[in-house]
Parts: sequence; structure tokens; C-alpha cells
Amino acid sequence: MAKFTRRNLIQTGLAAGAVLAAKGCANSTDQSESTEATTETTTEDGPKSPEFNANHSKDVTLRFIGTGVSQINEIREKAEEDLGFKLEMRALSTDDNNQIAITQPGQYDIFDGEYFSLPLVIPSGNLRPLDVKRIRQFDKLVPIFTTGNLYDGAPVNESQGTAPRKVMFLTGEDSTEFADEPTDWATLIPFQYNADTLGWRPDLVDKEINSWAQLFDSDFQGKTAILDIPSIGIMDAAMAIEASGLMTFSDKGNMTREELDQVTEILIEQKRNGQFRAFWKTFDESVNLMASSEVILQSMWSPAVTAVRARGLPCQYGPLKEGYRGWGGGIGLSRNLSDIELDAAYEYLNWMLDGWLGAFLGRQGYYSAAPENSKKFMEDYEWAYWYEGAEAAEEILDPFGEKIAEKGSKRDGGSFEERMGNVICWNSVMDEQTYLVQKWNEFVAA
Amino acid sequence: MTKPKRSLTFYILAAIFGLFVLFLYGPMTAVVLLSLQGPEGSLTFPMRGFSFYWLVSVFGEQRIGEFVTPFLRSFALGLLVMALSVAFSVMAGLAFRRHFTGSRFIFYLTITSLIVPSILVSLGIGIAFNILGLNVQWYSSALGGHLTWTLPFAFLIMLGVFNRFNPTYEEAARDLGASDTQSFWQIVLPLIAPSLIGVAMLSFTLSYDEFNRTALISGENNTLPLEIFGMTTNVTSPALYAVGTVTTIVSFVVIAIALTAYNFFMRRQP
Amino acid sequence: MKTWKQLQTYLLVTPQTLVFLLFLLFPLLTIFVVSFWEFNGYAMSPALILGNYKAIFTPVYLATYLNTFKFTVIVWGLALAIAYPVAYFLAFHIHDLRWQIGLFVLCTIPFFTSNIIRMISWIPFLGREGILNQVLLNLGIVQAPVDIFLYSDFAVVLAMLHLYTLFMVVPIFNSLVRIDRDLIAAALDSGASGLQVFKEVVLPLSLPGIAIGSIFIVTLVMGEFTTVRLMSGGQASSVGSAIRNQIGSLQYPQASANAVILLLVTLAIVVGIMRTFDIRKEL
Repeated sequence: MAKFTRRNLIQTGLAAGAVLAAKGCANSTDQSESTEATTETTTEDGPKSPEFNANHSKDVTLRFIGTGVSQINEIREKAEEDLGFKLEMRALSTDDNNQIAITQPGQYDIFDGEYFSLPLVIPSGNLRPLDVKRIRQFDKLVPIFTTGNLYDGAPVNESQGTAPRKVMFLTGEDSTEFADEPTDWATLIPFQYNADTLGWRPDLVDKEINSWAQLFDSDFQGKTAILDIPSIGIMDAAMAIEASGLMTFSDKGNMTREELDQVTEILIEQKRNGQFRAFWKTFDESVNLMASSEVILQSMWSPAVTAVRARGLPCQYGPLKEGYRGWGGGIGLSRNLSDIELDAAYEYLNWMLDGWLGAFLGRQGYYSAAPENSKKFMEDYEWAYWYEGAEAAEEILDPFGEKIAEKGSKRDGGSFEERMGNVICWNSVMDEQTYLVQKWNEFVAA
Repeated sequence: MTKPKRSLTFYILAAIFGLFVLFLYGPMTAVVLLSLQGPEGSLTFPMRGFSFYWLVSVFGEQRIGEFVTPFLRSFALGLLVMALSVAFSVMAGLAFRRHFTGSRFIFYLTITSLIVPSILVSLGIGIAFNILGLNVQWYSSALGGHLTWTLPFAFLIMLGVFNRFNPTYEEAARDLGASDTQSFWQIVLPLIAPSLIGVAMLSFTLSYDEFNRTALISGENNTLPLEIFGMTTNVTSPALYAVGTVTTIVSFVVIAIALTAYNFFMRRQP
Repeated sequence: MKTWKQLQTYLLVTPQTLVFLLFLLFPLLTIFVVSFWEFNGYAMSPALILGNYKAIFTPVYLATYLNTFKFTVIVWGLALAIAYPVAYFLAFHIHDLRWQIGLFVLCTIPFFTSNIIRMISWIPFLGREGILNQVLLNLGIVQAPVDIFLYSDFAVVLAMLHLYTLFMVVPIFNSLVRIDRDLIAAALDSGASGLQVFKEVVLPLSLPGIAIGSIFIVTLVMGEFTTVRLMSGGQASSVGSAIRNQIGSLQYPQASANAVILLLVTLAIVVGIMRTFDIRKEL
């Protein structure tokens, strides 16, 4: 058995699954066990039939859509190597990604998207409810995605907005209705998430940054930026507005029309005062803005911070007294998938949680959805730096080999529990989504 | 004839012209220079190092996506658009030598295609495909979108060409018993060949660089300009400028080939 | 024989006409129909409502239209101011045909390269740490980097001029070279001054060229969204970018209503220009 690589195993596993399916005796609730079982029998049967079928699974190509955050060639190559079939990745803006997911179901097999988009994507019926029994590592998922209870008393348990726990499960196999409790049918299988906050250039900002309100600080007039993605930008704006004491919300994650009117009014006023330098739609744009000193304080995403640092520029990503804005990303499968391709897609989901991917993304500051597994693929000092908030025992490198933190430095915001635990709101789709988008466009247009 | 004395106006206008050319080419120079930085280069000046690293990297894999396939796709689409534009516009040009019912409608339809804001073409084709349940693809919807942009130019040029075309050669051929088809292939086509080179080159480059009409309808596979636009939001290295430099070189090569071909055909004119 | 000729004519014109019917007229009609449809937050459904149009006649959207007009007028005026002298220089001051063609080609080459690349090439030039600011700082003209060079209306207008001025140069040049030189000589012989010749002979004869150039500039700028987005850092807006944003959030009916209004406005301007100047003879 020693000469059996993981790749061979999966190919044969897939092939066996397909054979079973063809024979009409595949039991979907039992798929993973039965494929494993057959893998062994088929390999004992002799090389002939697995070889034929392995060739078959080699022809599978899964087409991904997602954002530049994770549509990265290194990930594709590693997955292809381990799994033995082909992936095609397509990096889009968040808006375009959701748009294609909803309107062009023929263009993708796998949707790599954010949880907040689900109230829009799920009603389209383009995604297939996922059988959690086929996800081998499902019980390793952090509770943020399942029960919603990270640890007792954590602010994140009561967080506002489209929290993953609210849109993680569907009521049934053919349902497009979200379930309040965990069920066997998931919308997305999560793999990455983070607590977002303000980032700044400490060499150009000469005061302490400790509150979202400072996004509107007149000292930074013309040097701040805001994201032009309505569901995310509105939450940053709400954090800044609430922290400035300009208004209060009953629920930031589900504003009323009056609240949206008021928010837009405040934002337009800030814009007219020249508070913002630019609006951006993808995280790389925010990197360019920050690295060229056009912007010195803005809401950022973790890989943007590491990318700025990888260029040798200082960039801080600090904890703020109000808490963090959270987001979560996962993988959904198109309803068009069937047979061998569907099996391959499930294999990808299982591969995704195995740990390599979590470790790769973890080196950019994201958290893995199955942290225990990712720990195995990280050096101890890396794990201590990224997850425990400990001092870096060695230089910290990003996944592309660039140095992003000195020996002895600590992660901004501390440990996983301190950071994720203090997420108080999530990127959101609201009941008044159409109105929100309309008001947001008014703000951009003003 | 004595050389006209150069007036003050000449020098003022020459200066304006010089500034205009500088304005056209200046920023491009910045892009070319920045694409020649060393591996440690960034998106802004000052230049960090000097190498062909980024130019070479254009042909390899990027952190996100790659360029060779979209380039080949745009090239193929450009050739397809070019062939169709030349064929359709020559045919329409031949038809327009006579007056016929509906010619005004077709003429204004063509002009409309030229002046409808590009985003509407893109939006319209996108929605129409969506409602009909068709998938948008670069070889279907985007091809159509490109033709709405290249055909009006090609058609207007062909109208001008046939306006100036001297029909006596054709009549002579017909008197000698040539069929319509024969006189077209043996007389008309060689005579209009230099203009066709112009139409072909214009159609190809308009398609190769087209962005606005393709933006919403290229489907799952991007054309090169769309890939480059995606890059402006997904790339944070001089690879972006390197692609600019390389595509500009491609455009120049196409222009050079077209001009050479044009000269070649002009020399063979009677 | 005659019917065969007629049939032949129609056959010849069929492919081009089909392209425009399928990819222009039909899509435009679809836009018109969809502009009356409903939108429920994630999908559209057939209906006959005017809400999408009503939403346009709100102060913010009207301001967007005004902003688009502002860009159009500024770019048009500046393009004309730049293009006329350039075309005039080429047409009247360069007498050697080879030089004339050579310089003309020099102006048109950038037109054949990627618009996106030409646009972003301004960014390292205009930024806070860009060449222009470095030069100004070194010369002591400014004490701190000037912010309004990039991510501003200034940057948008500059980039549009860079992209579109040529569309004004070519038609003006085209009409200037067609002016009969004997006409000018005759006017000069009869004692007219250079300025009078320009005002009475050259300018009126070049008006059709200006008109064609203006139509190009108006239609290009009215539908702009890429330049506006990239060069204003996402801060400025135009009708085109509003449509793009609405599409991004799936609001096709709203985007369609905007598109219909944009088309009507653009066509009205174009028809206005065509009524004022007889451009037919330039074609």
C-alpha cells in the first residue's frame, strides 16, 4: 500500500464511486464510507478496472468562480496535484461573482463566495444543497459556522448582520429556505473567514488608532478610502457612524429605510467634505492605494495588509474598541453537477478542509474553517503567531515567501479568540437590500 | 516653386502639434519604463532595478490567472471579426452602388450602431441572451458585439471606396464576356485590395482592443482587454505594465504588417 | 434580369443587416421592454411598471446626468480646442505628402493600442508620488504633493482627452484637406487677410468635420464608465457607471430604464448636431 499516493487513492475512490453510481447502488448518505471500502476491494481486484476509471476522472475539469482572494494559481496547482483532476479558476470582483452565480448558472461548477451573498444566491436555486455526511471533516468546523457559539460569552455569538450561522443550513435536500438549526444540508462548506478592521500606515499616521470613528477624523481628510461593495461598505460605514455617535441603530445588520436614508446622508456629507481619497472594489486595489501612500487609513482585508508589508512598507491592522466586522467564505456546488463531476467536487470539499489550504491562506492572515487540520501543515511558530497571538519565534513569511513580520513581533489584535470572538457584525444582505443598493449608488454618485 | 516662408503661425501650430504628440506618447513611456524594473519593482516611480523579468513573466503564470490564453482568444476573435467585417462590408458596399428600397433604413441602422453608447450594446445583448436562455460566450455574443462596432467603420470606408471606384474597368470586363463573379474576383477585388487592407487592419485592432461592448458579454472566458481590466483590480506588481508594453508591441506589429501589405498592393496598382 | 439584380442587391446587404438586427436592434428593444419589468431583490420578472423611470427623476440621478453632461461638455470643448490646431497644422502647414501621412499616422498609432493600458499609464504619472508631483516638488513650485492630479475630475477629463481627441482630429483633418486651395488663393488675391480667409472660407467649410467629431465625442463620453471609475478612484459618477453599478447588483430593469433615457438623450444631441450641420457630404 505504501506506493499508493493520495492522488491515486482519490482517483480510484472517485472511479469506484462512479462505478457504484452507474450500477445504481450508490447510497448518497453513505458515499464516503462506501467509496473508501470499495477503494480497497478494487485495488485488490487488480489494476485493470481502476486504471480505466482513473483515466476517466482525469478528464474532469471543475470550473470555479470566486474573487482574487482565493482564486490563486498556487492553490489550483496543489489541488490538481493532490486530486488528479483539473480546476479552472476565474477571479472576479465580489459584485460580478454574485451576479454570475445568480444569472449565469451555466458558467461555473463551483461557487467560491461569501456567506452574505447567500440570501441573494440561494433563492435562484442554482446551488445544490450539500450533504454534510459526505464531508469527512465536518465535525472539525469551528462553531462560528454551525452552532454559532464560539465560546461562552463571546460577543460574536450575538453578532449582527448576515452571520454564517444564519445562512449555513437549509431545511431540506430540495429546499431554498434557511434553517435556524443545523441540519444535514449545507449551503456552503466554509474554508476561510476573518475579522476585518481598520488598517493604516504607522509611518504616515502619527496618532493612535483605536476606534472606527477615526475613519471620519478630519486629520485624515483626503487620505481615507472606503469599499464600494454595498453589503460590506455599509457595515464599515455603520461602525464608523455608530462609533462617532452620529446616530444609533436598532440592528446594524438589518437597517430600516429611515436608517439607510440617514446613513447615506452622513456618508454624502463626508464625501463632499473630501474625506475619501478613493473607493475600491477588490482588495488588491486597496493594496495599491495604501502602498502608493494615496491612502493612509482604511478598512482593509487581511491579505491586503500582508501584501503591503511584503513590499517592505509598515502597515498596522489594529483592534478597535468597538470590535470587528466579520466575513466568511465558502464553497458551494452548482446544481448542474452530476455523477463523476459531483463526486470530484465533493472530493475537492474534503481536500479543502484537510489542512494544506487552511495553512496556505493562514499565512496571509485568514483563519481556517478546520483549524486543527491546518495546524498540521504549519510550523509551530507560525501557528503560535497567527492563532495564539504569541511573539514570532522566527521571521514570518507569507505564502509566496516574502517576509511580512520581524522575529519577536506579534499579530495585531492578538489570538484567534480575541479577534474572532470580538466580531460584532458581519457583511450583510438586509431585508431592504434593493433600497440599500439604491441608496449606496446615490452615495457613490453624489 | 519656392519654399513658402515659415510664418509665426507655423511655429505656434508646430509647437501645439508637438505637445499633442508628447501628450499621446508621454504616459506610455512611463508604462514601458516601469515594466522594465527588476523583480523588486512596484507600481510607482522611482524605478527599482532594471530587467526584463516582468516582460518575460507575462508569458508565464501569474499569481491570479494568466495572459497567454486570453491573448490567443482575443487574437482569434480579432481575426474572425476582421474576416466577417471585410466580407460583409464589401458585400454591402457593392449593394449600395444602386439605390434600393430600404437602403436609407440600413444606412441609418449602421450609423446608429456607431453612435449608440457602447455600454447599451453590451447590456442589451446580455439581457437578450439571458432572456432567451442562451449562454454568453466570446465566440457568440461578444463576436456580435464587436461586429456592431467594426462593421459601421468598415461599411463607411467601403462606401467611400466604391464612390471613387471607376466602373469603366468593370464594364470593359463585362463587354468582354466576364460574368459578375469573374469581374468581381478579377477586376474589382484587386482594385479595392489596398482599401481592404485598411478595413481589415482597422477591424482587427478595434476588436482586439474592444472593451466597453464586450464588458458584460464575453462569458466565462475573458478577452485580453477584459483580463487586463481585471488585472487593474487584481494585480499589484509591474506585471500589469508589462502586459501593457507587450500588447502595445503587438498592436505596432499589426500596424507595420498592414502598412507593408498596403505598400505592396499599391505598387501593383495599374 | 432586373429582378435578379434586385435580389442580388438584397442578398448582398443581408449579412450586415442581420448583424445589426440581431445584435443591435433586438437587444435595444429588449432593454426597452425590460425597463418596465419588476425587480424583487435578486431576480427580475415581467411587468408593466413605471417605477424604474420614476427612480431616475430623483435629485441624485439627475445630478448624475448633469455630471455626465459636465464631462461631455468639458471634454468636447477641450478636444475641439486641441484638435483644430493640430488638424489645421497637418492640413495647411505640411506640404510634403509623405510628411503629412507620416505625422498623421504618428497621431493615430496610439488609437490602435489598448484603451485600458493608456488609461492606467496616467496613474504613475499623476499620483501623490508620481512623476508630475516629483517634478513640481523639485522645482519648488509646490511645497506638498498636489492631490487633485489623480482620483479627481481633472484626471477623468485628462484621460478622456487622451483617449478621444483623435476622434475629433481625424474628421476635421479630413474636411480641411478637401478644401480647394484655389478658393483660398482667390480670397487672398481679392485682398482678404489671413484671419478673414479663416473666418469666411476655412472655418465654414470645416464645420461638417467638427460636427462629425463632436458626434463621436458626445457618444463616447456619454456612455463612459471605465475611465470614470479608474481615474476618479471610484468617486465620480456618470450615467454609464450608474448603469454598471446597477448591473453589478442585478438590478437589470433599473439599469435598462437608465439606458433608455441615456439613449434618448444621446440621440437627441446627435440629431441636434446633424440638423445644424449638413454632414451628409462628408460621408
